[in-house]
Amino acid sequence: MRDAPSDALVVAQVLGGDKEAFGIIIRRYEPGLLRFATRMLGSPDAAADAVAESLVRAYRHLAQCRDLEHLKSWLYRITGNRCRSHLGRRHTGDVPLDDAPPLADPVDTWAVLERGEQVALVERALAGLPEEKREAFVLKHIEGMSYEEMSAVTGARIPTLKMRVHRAREALLAALKELV
Amino acid sequence: MTVIDPRLQEALDGERDPATLPVGLREAYVRLLAATELLREPPAVSVADRVMAEIRSDAATSVTAPAGAARRLTQWFTRPRAVTLRLRPAWTLALAAALAALLLLPGGQAAVPGAEEGIAQFVGHFPGARSVEVVGSFNDWRRGALPLSDEDHDGIWHGAVVLPTGQHEYMFVVDGERWVADPLAGRYVDDGFGAGRQNALLIVRP
Repeated sequence: MRDAPSDALVVAQVLGGDKEAFGIIIRRYEPGLLRFATRMLGSPDAAADAVAESLVRAYRHLAQCRDLEHLKSWLYRITGNRCRSHLGRRHTGDVPLDDAPPLADPVDTWAVLERGEQVALVERALAGLPEEKREAFVLKHIEGMSYEEMSAVTGARIPTLKMRVHRAREALLAALKELV
Repeated sequence: MTVIDPRLQEALDGERDPATLPVGLREAYVRLLAATELLREPPAVSVADRVMAEIRSDAATSVTAPAGAARRLTQWFTRPRAVTLRLRPAWTLALAAALAALLLLPGGQAAVPGAEEGIAQFVGHFPGARSVEVVGSFNDWRRGALPLSDEDHDGIWHGAVVLPTGQHEYMFVVDGERWVADPLAGRYVDDGFGAGRQNALLIVRP
């Protein structure tokens, strides 16, 4: 079986005029970008808009990507910026979680909650985090990035990111204790 | 807010074996990981078709060199025209001969740019560099479109291009990998990608 072409090779194809080759980049990174944007924005529809805008922007500025070894970080950085832009247009706290079920009865436990309810509860707790902490937590624990990769995505220093992740964990654990 | 025991943070950062945590911390460890696992489900939607449709339908999204820029460049090199120099004081004397040779067309005729065009002169001091080129908003940041030259190997690289009047962002690319904002540009703008890096800004006047 042939190895998948490297990002650098695919980008070279695109810059050589092969627009269709950009589909490889999309297929490679779309799932993670959509997951990241969904957790940042709290809405799959808004996330789809943000990721679509980000990918078109990435295509248009592909030649401006200065380090093809870190194309992934570049795409996440663009998407993170689009998410911030979307969030900036919203009122504070206007995270569409209307579909979330009501808070669990205090006698419920985490173990007996249905999976859908668990997801909704965690989403609600995540949505309650400040933007920077939410971003750091999502990149670390949901996208599985190292602190070095997170630094490339956010531009923040590693100690700063560690502190954001630590604070996010504390807030999330506290929220989960209250919710369940 | 609950302050988490540093040992739990270390375990969550992969710096400590979670099996060494006390029972209470291990429960918190499991709970937090279980919560994040719930959020890892792959999204059910895809924007691939939407993005590719936009890329295919919009000619403006081409990331290859714009035909108009190539045509203008060709016209500039094949027509007599006047020269607008953008010299930097520190290197004026050293560069004068090179710039004159570069900007005067065969026969010593002066160039005359179009009403909405000007000539941008790029000069950079990169001793020891093997190659230097300019990428910018005017060539879609495409590598290889505007190489600079250093014929006498004194580390001063230069080149010129005719550009539409207005503002253009640009960067030097040294040895094919190091992106450097022109230290003498005087004006800079954020590159828009959120890492705090800046592009040099060039203003071309007619």
